[in-house]
Amino acid sequence: MSLLGFFQWCEQSGIGEAIRKSAWLFPLIEAIHLLGLGLIGGAVLVVDLRLLGLGLRRQSVAQLTRDAQPWLVGSLVLMIITGGLLFLSEAIKCYYHGAFWFKMTSLFLAIVFTFTVQRKVTMAEETRVSPLWSKVVALVSVALWSGVGIGGRWIGFS
Amino acid sequence: MPARFIISLPALVLALCYLLMAPARTSTRKVQSSSELPRQARLIASDSGSEKWARFVTLGRTLPSGTMLLQQDASAATGGSVLAFFQRMSDSSWSTGLHESRYAYDLIESVHVWALCLFFGLAVLFDLRLLGWTMRTIPVSEVARRLLPWTAVGFAIMVISGALLFSAIPLRSFQNIFFRTKMILLMVAGINVWIFHSGVYRRVTSWDMDRIPPKAARVAGAFSLVLWVAIVLSGRMIAYNWFDCDRQPQPAIINFLTSCVPTEAEH
Repeated sequence: MSLLGFFQWCEQSGIGEAIRKSAWLFPLIEAIHLLGLGLIGGAVLVVDLRLLGLGLRRQSVAQLTRDAQPWLVGSLVLMIITGGLLFLSEAIKCYYHGAFWFKMTSLFLAIVFTFTVQRKVTMAEETRVSPLWSKVVALVSVALWSGVGIGGRWIGFS
Repeated sequence: MPARFIISLPALVLALCYLLMAPARTSTRKVQSSSELPRQARLIASDSGSEKWARFVTLGRTLPSGTMLLQQDASAATGGSVLAFFQRMSDSSWSTGLHESRYAYDLIESVHVWALCLFFGLAVLFDLRLLGWTMRTIPVSEVARRLLPWTAVGFAIMVISGALLFSAIPLRSFQNIFFRTKMILLMVAGINVWIFHSGVYRRVTSWDMDRIPPKAARVAGAFSLVLWVAIVLSGRMIAYNWFDCDRQPQPAIINFLTSCVPTEAEH
């Protein structure tokens, strides 16, 4: 099956059909998606601000990462579920929308970066990580996650 | 201090709107419609004799052509002076320009969504700390002192970008039931912040290190959480036109709550 074929199959799925037919399902799912965005933003920012030497700087980076972790993962799961449902209802539109592909690329990079490079930095002993490297990691993380959020918003603009 | 700041928000929004209202009136009529709808203008030539006050807004409906158009005489409507005020704001070149621009509106909305993460995300984390659901080993006052300034920054960006978005579609937003809900909830959230900071938070030294704060703090956190969630939800719903004035008939209660005045033909 080609990629477009897969997208067409998604669009024609029963779930996608049901969401399209309903007047309020799409708005409701989208609103939950937005709440998830806010929560994931908080969980990402609290760690990134710390890496930048701002925010909760008396606590260790590792501790903050552990505290934020369940909320990050939880909201990410919520985002992927609600986002998947939204996608099913308008897969073809997404296929031809640059913002969708921008968002998916950013999302892939953001997840990989957060759970590999950033994880290594946040869990390392702080004396062993140069402050500059911490800041670079934080800025890259903010940039990638912002790309996901803003890319997502632009899917809605035609 | 943040409490007073938040309570004064709706006043600030209105003041900003007033400042943004350009005095120049353009001669073209423009459409107030949801940004999610096709931005189609269906214009009618106004009678030049009654040019001054008969400034009808003609709302292009998404129904097949030939259906009746809603003509709204803002100056004669209930609460006429307020509606007329937002009508004039809609007619300003600033508002029209922002509404019809290719990218400005979308960019401002992106900023609004981005700042949501900064404000809402960090405010939620603080509420979760009050509930004892995260950062349990960090003193509450430390979280407040280090994170709340960032929520204030996020809030300021939200207010400015939100006011700009409002100024692009003032009349429709003002008559939007979700917008009105959101403004009322913002005031309630402000009062909640004020109660928290002037109440249980004054005694924070006695429970600063509690892994699970006392009940009064948990209640304030839960209230705040519910209110901000409701504010985000109602904000998102502003984009939908289910209860807009140009979608009649609506139940009388909806028209009352949105200050819509349907024409005779629509009753």
